[in-house]
Amino acid sequence: MKKVLTVLALASLLVGSVNGSENNDPRLELMKDMRTMLDSMEQIQRGGLYSSTDDMKAGVKKLQGTLNVLESEQIKVILPKDQVYAYKFAQKTASMLRLYSDDMIASIEAGRMDDALEDYTQLLKQCTSCHIRIRNW
Amino acid sequence: MERRNFLKVMAAGATIVAVNPSLIRGNLYADDGRLYTAYEKAQIVDASGNPIKVSALEKEVTYIFNYPYASTPCMLINLPEPTQQDITLKSEMGEEYIWKSGVGKERTVVAYSAICAHQLTHPTPNDSFIKYVPKSKPTMAYKKSGIIVCSSHMSAYDGGAGAKVLAGAASQPLAAVMLEVAADETIWAVGVLGSDKFQDYFRAFKPEFKEFYSGIAQAKQLVSISAKTVKLTEYSKEIIQY
Repeated sequence: MKKVLTVLALASLLVGSVNGSENNDPRLELMKDMRTMLDSMEQIQRGGLYSSTDDMKAGVKKLQGTLNVLESEQIKVILPKDQVYAYKFAQKTASMLRLYSDDMIASIEAGRMDDALEDYTQLLKQCTSCHIRIRNW
Repeated sequence: MERRNFLKVMAAGATIVAVNPSLIRGNLYADDGRLYTAYEKAQIVDASGNPIKVSALEKEVTYIFNYPYASTPCMLINLPEPTQQDITLKSEMGEEYIWKSGVGKERTVVAYSAICAHQLTHPTPNDSFIKYVPKSKPTMAYKKSGIIVCSSHMSAYDGGAGAKVLAGAASQPLAAVMLEVAADETIWAVGVLGSDKFQDYFRAFKPEFKEFYSGIAQAKQLVSISAKTVKLTEYSKEIIQY
Protein backbone atom coordinates (compact mmCIF):
# COMPACT_ATOMS: atom_id res chain seq x y z
CA MET A 1 0.00 0.00 0.00
CA LYS A 2 2.83 2.29 0.94
CA LYS A 3 4.47 1.59 -2.40
CA VAL A 4 1.26 2.36 -4.29
CA LEU A 5 0.85 5.66 -2.46
CA THR A 6 4.47 6.60 -3.19
CA VAL A 7 4.03 5.84 -6.90
CA LEU A 8 0.79 7.84 -7.01
CA ALA A 9 2.44 10.78 -5.25
CA LEU A 10 5.40 10.71 -7.66
CA ALA A 11 3.08 10.42 -10.67
CA SER A 12 0.99 13.36 -9.55
CA LEU A 13 4.14 15.41 -8.96
CA LEU A 14 5.38 14.50 -12.46
CA VAL A 15 2.08 15.42 -14.11
CA GLY A 16 1.99 18.63 -12.11
CA SER A 17 5.46 19.63 -13.23
CA VAL A 18 4.68 18.83 -16.89
CA ASN A 19 1.51 20.93 -16.71
CA GLY A 20 3.44 23.67 -14.98
CA SER A 21 6.07 23.81 -17.69
CA GLU A 22 3.35 23.75 -20.35
CA ASN A 23 1.60 26.65 -18.65
CA ASN A 24 4.84 28.60 -18.79
CA ASP A 25 5.44 27.88 -22.45
CA PRO A 26 4.75 31.17 -24.23
CA ARG A 27 4.03 29.34 -27.46
CA LEU A 28 1.00 27.76 -25.86
CA GLU A 29 -0.12 31.23 -24.88
CA LEU A 30 0.26 32.28 -28.50
CA MET A 31 -1.81 29.30 -29.66
CA LYS A 32 -4.49 30.29 -27.17
CA ASP A 33 -4.38 33.88 -28.42
CA MET A 34 -4.64 32.69 -32.02
CA ARG A 35 -7.76 30.70 -31.17
CA THR A 36 -9.19 33.79 -29.46
CA MET A 37 -8.38 35.83 -32.57
CA LEU A 38 -10.20 33.29 -34.72
CA ASP A 39 -13.21 33.44 -32.39
CA SER A 40 -13.18 37.22 -32.44
CA MET A 41 -13.04 37.35 -36.24
CA GLU A 42 -15.98 34.93 -36.42
CA GLN A 43 -17.89 37.08 -33.97
CA ILE A 44 -17.24 40.24 -36.00
CA GLN A 45 -18.32 38.47 -39.18
CA ARG A 46 -21.44 37.11 -37.53
CA GLY A 47 -22.24 40.59 -36.25
CA GLY A 48 -21.82 42.00 -39.74
CA LEU A 49 -24.02 39.35 -41.32
CA TYR A 50 -26.74 39.56 -38.64
CA SER A 51 -26.60 43.36 -38.37
CA SER A 52 -25.49 43.19 -34.76
CA THR A 53 -23.15 46.04 -33.98
CA ASP A 54 -22.93 44.75 -30.38
CA ASP A 55 -21.46 41.47 -31.66
CA MET A 56 -19.05 43.37 -33.88
CA LYS A 57 -17.89 45.58 -31.02
CA ALA A 58 -17.54 42.59 -28.69
CA GLY A 59 -15.46 40.81 -31.36
CA VAL A 60 -13.20 43.84 -31.71
CA LYS A 61 -12.72 44.02 -27.92
CA LYS A 62 -11.83 40.33 -27.84
CA LEU A 63 -9.42 40.76 -30.76
CA GLN A 64 -7.69 43.76 -29.23
CA GLY A 65 -7.17 41.80 -26.02
CA THR A 66 -4.79 39.51 -27.91
CA LEU A 67 -2.64 42.19 -29.49
CA ASN A 68 -0.43 43.26 -26.60
CA VAL A 69 1.78 40.18 -26.83
CA LEU A 70 2.14 40.46 -30.60
CA GLU A 71 3.04 44.13 -30.32
CA SER A 72 5.66 43.55 -27.62
CA GLU A 73 9.20 42.16 -27.75
CA GLN A 74 7.76 38.94 -26.29
CA ILE A 75 6.81 38.02 -29.84
CA LYS A 76 10.43 36.95 -30.42
CA VAL A 77 10.00 34.11 -27.92
CA ILE A 78 6.84 32.73 -29.45
CA LEU A 79 7.60 32.86 -33.17
CA PRO A 80 8.84 29.72 -34.93
CA LYS A 81 12.64 29.61 -34.66
CA ASP A 82 13.22 30.19 -38.37
CA GLN A 83 10.97 33.26 -38.31
CA VAL A 84 12.23 35.05 -35.20
CA TYR A 85 14.17 37.50 -37.38
CA ALA A 86 10.83 38.60 -38.88
CA TYR A 87 9.34 39.71 -35.55
CA LYS A 88 9.09 43.30 -36.80
CA PHE A 89 6.71 42.08 -39.47
CA ALA A 90 4.51 40.39 -36.85
CA GLN A 91 4.56 43.57 -34.77
CA LYS A 92 3.57 45.62 -37.81
CA THR A 93 0.70 43.23 -38.48
CA ALA A 94 -0.48 43.63 -34.89
CA SER A 95 -0.37 47.43 -35.18
CA MET A 96 -2.39 47.26 -38.41
CA LEU A 97 -4.94 45.00 -36.67
CA ARG A 98 -5.26 47.63 -33.97
CA LEU A 99 -5.60 50.42 -36.54
CA TYR A 100 -8.36 48.68 -38.53
CA SER A 101 -10.21 47.48 -35.44
CA ASP A 102 -10.15 50.98 -33.90
CA ASP A 103 -11.46 52.30 -37.20
CA MET A 104 -14.18 49.67 -37.20
CA ILE A 105 -15.49 50.93 -33.86
CA ALA A 106 -15.37 54.53 -35.11
CA SER A 107 -17.18 53.52 -38.32
CA ILE A 108 -19.89 51.60 -36.41
CA GLU A 109 -20.46 54.50 -34.07
CA ALA A 110 -20.73 56.89 -37.00
CA GLY A 111 -23.17 54.53 -38.73
CA ARG A 112 -20.80 53.93 -41.66
CA MET A 113 -21.38 50.19 -41.98
CA ASP A 114 -19.74 49.93 -45.40
CA ASP A 115 -16.54 51.26 -43.87
CA ALA A 116 -16.87 48.92 -40.90
CA LEU A 117 -17.21 45.90 -43.18
CA GLU A 118 -14.25 47.12 -45.26
CA ASP A 119 -12.29 47.23 -42.00
CA TYR A 120 -13.28 43.60 -41.40
CA THR A 121 -11.94 42.70 -44.87
CA GLN A 122 -8.66 44.44 -44.07
CA LEU A 123 -8.42 42.68 -40.70
CA LEU A 124 -8.80 39.33 -42.40
CA LYS A 125 -6.20 40.36 -44.98
CA GLN A 126 -3.75 41.19 -42.20
CA CYS A 127 -4.31 37.76 -40.63
CA THR A 128 -3.66 35.91 -43.89
CA SER A 129 -0.73 38.16 -44.78
CA CYS A 130 1.00 37.28 -41.51
CA HIS A 131 0.24 33.59 -41.87
CA ILE A 132 1.68 33.61 -45.40
CA ARG A 133 4.86 35.15 -44.05
CA ILE A 134 5.33 33.46 -40.72
CA ARG A 135 3.95 30.05 -41.58
CA ASN A 136 5.65 29.93 -44.99
CA TRP A 137 2.46 29.34 -46.90
CA MET B 1 -4.55 76.69 -95.09
CA GLU B 2 -8.06 76.59 -96.38
CA ARG B 3 -10.86 76.57 -93.82
CA ARG B 4 -11.96 73.06 -94.76
CA ASN B 5 -8.42 71.64 -94.46
CA PHE B 6 -7.91 73.44 -91.16
CA LEU B 7 -11.05 71.87 -89.75
CA LYS B 8 -9.96 68.43 -90.98
CA VAL B 9 -6.57 68.79 -89.26
CA MET B 10 -8.20 69.96 -86.03
CA ALA B 11 -10.69 67.08 -86.05
CA ALA B 12 -7.94 64.53 -86.68
CA GLY B 13 -5.82 65.99 -83.86
CA ALA B 14 -8.72 65.96 -81.44
CA THR B 15 -9.46 62.32 -82.29
CA ILE B 16 -5.84 61.26 -81.68
CA VAL B 17 -5.71 63.05 -78.33
CA ALA B 18 -9.08 61.59 -77.33
CA VAL B 19 -7.79 58.10 -78.09
CA ASN B 20 -4.50 58.68 -76.29
CA PRO B 21 -4.50 61.60 -73.84
CA SER B 22 -0.79 61.24 -72.99
CA LEU B 23 0.03 62.67 -76.43
CA ILE B 24 -1.21 66.06 -75.28
CA ARG B 25 2.03 66.44 -73.32
CA GLY B 26 4.15 65.53 -76.31
CA ASN B 27 5.68 62.48 -74.68
CA LEU B 28 4.83 58.85 -75.02
CA TYR B 29 6.72 56.52 -72.78
CA ALA B 30 5.15 53.19 -73.61
CA ASP B 31 5.42 52.20 -77.27
CA ASP B 32 1.69 52.26 -77.80
CA GLY B 33 0.64 54.32 -74.77
CA ARG B 34 -0.87 51.37 -72.92
CA LEU B 35 -0.73 51.56 -69.13
CA TYR B 36 0.72 55.05 -69.26
CA THR B 37 -1.02 57.85 -67.39
CA ALA B 38 0.20 61.42 -67.68
CA TYR B 39 -0.14 63.53 -64.55
CA GLU B 40 0.70 67.13 -63.83
CA LYS B 41 4.40 67.68 -64.23
CA ALA B 42 6.00 68.12 -60.78
CA GLN B 43 9.51 69.22 -59.99
CA ILE B 44 11.49 67.09 -57.57
CA VAL B 45 12.56 69.39 -54.73
CA ASP B 46 14.24 68.94 -51.35
CA ALA B 47 12.58 69.46 -47.97
CA SER B 48 13.25 73.22 -48.19
CA GLY B 49 11.67 73.43 -51.61
CA ASN B 50 14.91 73.79 -53.57
CA PRO B 51 15.12 71.87 -56.85
CA ILE B 52 17.23 68.73 -56.67
CA LYS B 53 19.71 68.30 -59.50
CA VAL B 54 20.27 64.87 -60.93
CA SER B 55 24.02 65.04 -60.21
CA ALA B 56 23.31 65.71 -56.53
CA LEU B 57 21.57 62.38 -55.97
CA GLU B 58 23.67 60.03 -53.90
CA LYS B 59 24.26 56.64 -55.43
CA GLU B 60 22.25 53.69 -54.11
CA VAL B 61 20.25 55.77 -51.64
CA THR B 62 16.47 55.40 -51.51
CA TYR B 63 14.77 58.80 -51.73
CA ILE B 64 11.03 59.13 -51.18
CA PHE B 65 8.60 61.57 -52.78
CA ASN B 66 4.83 61.43 -53.07
CA TYR B 67 3.45 61.37 -56.62
CA PRO B 68 1.05 61.60 -58.39
CA TYR B 69 -1.18 61.77 -55.28
CA ALA B 70 -0.34 63.43 -51.96
CA SER B 71 -0.22 60.02 -50.26
CA THR B 72 1.29 57.72 -52.88
CA PRO B 73 4.98 57.23 -52.02
CA CYS B 74 7.56 56.72 -54.74
CA MET B 75 11.22 55.77 -54.64
CA LEU B 76 13.86 57.78 -56.46
CA ILE B 77 17.15 55.93 -56.86
CA ASN B 78 20.47 56.70 -58.52
CA LEU B 79 21.68 53.23 -59.45
CA PRO B 80 25.35 52.28 -59.51
CA GLU B 81 25.20 51.23 -63.18
CA PRO B 82 23.30 52.36 -66.29
CA THR B 83 19.89 50.78 -66.57
CA GLN B 84 18.89 48.39 -69.30
CA GLN B 85 16.81 49.80 -72.15
CA ASP B 86 13.48 49.01 -73.77
CA ILE B 87 12.39 46.37 -71.29
CA THR B 88 9.14 44.62 -72.11
CA LEU B 89 7.09 44.15 -68.95
CA LYS B 90 3.75 42.57 -68.23
CA SER B 91 1.02 43.61 -65.78
CA GLU B 92 -0.83 40.98 -63.75
CA MET B 93 -3.70 41.35 -66.22
CA GLY B 94 -1.34 40.29 -69.01
CA GLU B 95 -0.96 43.70 -70.65
CA GLU B 96 2.49 44.26 -72.10
CA TYR B 97 4.23 47.61 -71.97
CA ILE B 98 7.71 48.92 -72.53
CA TRP B 99 9.87 50.69 -69.97
CA LYS B 100 12.40 52.77 -71.87
CA SER B 101 15.27 53.34 -69.39
CA GLY B 102 16.55 55.42 -66.50
CA VAL B 103 17.34 59.10 -66.97
CA GLY B 104 20.41 61.28 -66.45
CA LYS B 105 23.65 61.28 -68.41
CA GLU B 106 24.36 57.67 -67.56
CA ARG B 107 20.74 56.47 -67.48
CA THR B 108 21.14 55.58 -63.80
CA VAL B 109 18.28 57.53 -62.24
CA VAL B 110 14.96 55.73 -61.85
CA ALA B 111 11.73 56.20 -59.94
CA TYR B 112 9.09 53.67 -59.00
CA SER B 113 5.96 53.52 -56.94
CA ALA B 114 6.93 52.39 -53.43
CA ILE B 115 3.63 50.50 -53.07
CA CYS B 116 4.51 46.83 -53.35
CA ALA B 117 2.63 45.10 -56.15
CA HIS B 118 1.99 42.08 -53.91
CA GLN B 119 0.13 43.32 -50.81
CA LEU B 120 0.60 47.09 -51.04
CA THR B 121 3.33 47.39 -48.42
CA HIS B 122 4.64 50.95 -48.51
CA PRO B 123 6.74 53.37 -46.47
CA THR B 124 4.97 55.39 -43.79
CA PRO B 125 6.37 57.97 -41.37
CA ASN B 126 6.49 55.13 -38.81
CA ASP B 127 8.26 52.43 -40.77
CA SER B 128 9.22 51.02 -44.12
CA PHE B 129 9.59 47.42 -45.25
CA ILE B 130 10.38 48.35 -48.85
CA LYS B 131 13.60 49.89 -50.12
CA TYR B 132 16.48 49.65 -52.54
CA VAL B 133 19.16 47.32 -51.16
CA PRO B 134 22.65 48.52 -52.11
CA LYS B 135 25.00 46.09 -53.87
CA SER B 136 27.18 45.74 -50.78
CA LYS B 137 24.32 44.67 -48.50
CA PRO B 138 22.92 41.14 -48.53
CA THR B 139 19.22 40.36 -48.73
CA MET B 140 17.30 37.17 -48.02
CA ALA B 141 14.95 37.94 -50.89
CA TYR B 142 17.32 37.25 -53.79
CA LYS B 143 20.74 35.84 -54.60
CA LYS B 144 22.21 39.27 -55.39
CA SER B 145 21.69 42.79 -54.11
CA GLY B 146 21.46 46.12 -55.94
CA ILE B 147 17.72 45.50 -56.18
CA ILE B 148 14.48 46.72 -54.62
CA VAL B 149 13.19 44.45 -51.85
CA CYS B 150 9.87 44.38 -50.07
CA SER B 151 10.66 42.64 -46.80
CA SER B 152 7.01 41.98 -45.97
CA HIS B 153 6.78 38.88 -48.16
CA MET B 154 10.21 39.07 -49.81
CA SER B 155 9.33 40.33 -53.26
CA ALA B 156 12.38 41.45 -55.20
CA TYR B 157 12.37 43.86 -58.14
CA ASP B 158 15.07 44.84 -60.61
CA GLY B 159 15.34 48.63 -60.44
CA GLY B 160 17.61 48.61 -63.49
CA ALA B 161 15.02 46.90 -65.64
CA GLY B 162 11.72 48.68 -65.02
CA ALA B 163 11.21 47.03 -61.61
CA LYS B 164 10.71 43.64 -63.20
CA VAL B 165 9.89 40.96 -60.61
CA LEU B 166 12.95 38.88 -59.72
CA ALA B 167 11.58 36.84 -56.83
CA GLY B 168 8.72 36.55 -54.38
CA ALA B 169 4.97 36.59 -54.67
CA ALA B 170 4.51 39.88 -56.56
CA SER B 171 2.64 39.24 -59.78
CA GLN B 172 3.72 42.36 -61.65
CA PRO B 173 6.45 45.03 -61.66
CA LEU B 174 6.25 48.13 -59.53
CA ALA B 175 4.68 50.98 -61.47
CA ALA B 176 7.36 53.27 -62.87
CA VAL B 177 7.31 57.02 -62.40
CA MET B 178 8.38 58.68 -65.62
CA LEU B 179 11.06 61.29 -65.07
CA GLU B 180 12.45 64.04 -67.25
CA VAL B 181 15.75 65.83 -66.68
CA ALA B 182 15.90 69.44 -67.86
CA ALA B 183 18.97 71.14 -69.31
CA ASP B 184 19.72 72.61 -65.88
CA GLU B 185 19.73 69.07 -64.44
CA THR B 186 16.51 69.54 -62.49
CA ILE B 187 14.26 66.48 -62.31
CA TRP B 188 10.56 66.36 -63.13
CA ALA B 189 7.99 63.62 -62.59
CA VAL B 190 5.51 63.56 -65.47
CA GLY B 191 3.47 60.36 -65.33
CA VAL B 192 3.14 56.75 -64.27
CA LEU B 193 3.78 53.70 -66.40
CA GLY B 194 2.48 50.25 -65.54
CA SER B 195 -0.29 48.89 -63.34
CA ASP B 196 -0.21 51.24 -60.36
CA LYS B 197 -2.56 49.76 -57.69
CA PHE B 198 -3.40 53.28 -56.46
CA GLN B 199 -7.14 52.60 -56.15
CA ASP B 200 -6.56 49.39 -54.16
CA TYR B 201 -4.19 51.37 -51.96
CA PHE B 202 -6.74 54.15 -51.34
CA ARG B 203 -9.38 51.58 -50.39
CA ALA B 204 -7.11 49.55 -48.11
CA PHE B 205 -5.43 52.28 -46.08
CA LYS B 206 -8.24 54.70 -45.24
CA PRO B 207 -7.54 54.60 -41.47
CA GLU B 208 -3.87 55.28 -42.12
CA PHE B 209 -4.74 58.30 -44.27
CA LYS B 210 -6.73 59.72 -41.37
CA GLU B 211 -3.64 59.41 -39.20
CA PHE B 212 -1.07 60.82 -41.63
CA TYR B 213 -3.02 63.05 -44.07
CA SER B 214 -6.11 64.12 -42.07
CA GLY B 215 -8.37 62.03 -44.30
CA ILE B 216 -8.93 60.28 -47.60
CA ALA B 217 -9.78 63.45 -49.54
CA GLN B 218 -6.44 65.02 -48.65
CA ALA B 219 -4.64 61.76 -49.39
CA LYS B 220 -6.16 61.66 -52.88
CA GLN B 221 -5.18 65.20 -53.83
CA LEU B 222 -3.06 65.30 -56.94
CA VAL B 223 0.47 66.58 -56.55
CA SER B 224 0.97 69.89 -58.24
CA ILE B 225 4.02 71.97 -59.18
CA SER B 226 6.57 70.18 -56.98
CA ALA B 227 7.15 66.99 -55.01
CA LYS B 228 9.18 67.13 -51.81
CA THR B 229 11.83 64.47 -51.68
CA VAL B 230 13.76 63.14 -48.68
CA LYS B 231 15.93 60.14 -47.97
CA LEU B 232 14.00 57.12 -46.76
CA THR B 233 16.00 57.31 -43.53
CA GLU B 234 14.43 60.72 -42.93
CA TYR B 235 10.96 59.74 -44.17
CA SER B 236 10.48 56.67 -41.93
CA LYS B 237 11.45 56.32 -38.29
CA GLU B 238 12.32 52.68 -38.73
CA ILE B 239 13.51 50.77 -41.79
CA ILE B 240 13.21 47.01 -41.85
CA GLN B 241 15.13 45.03 -44.42
CA TYR B 242 15.77 41.30 -44.57
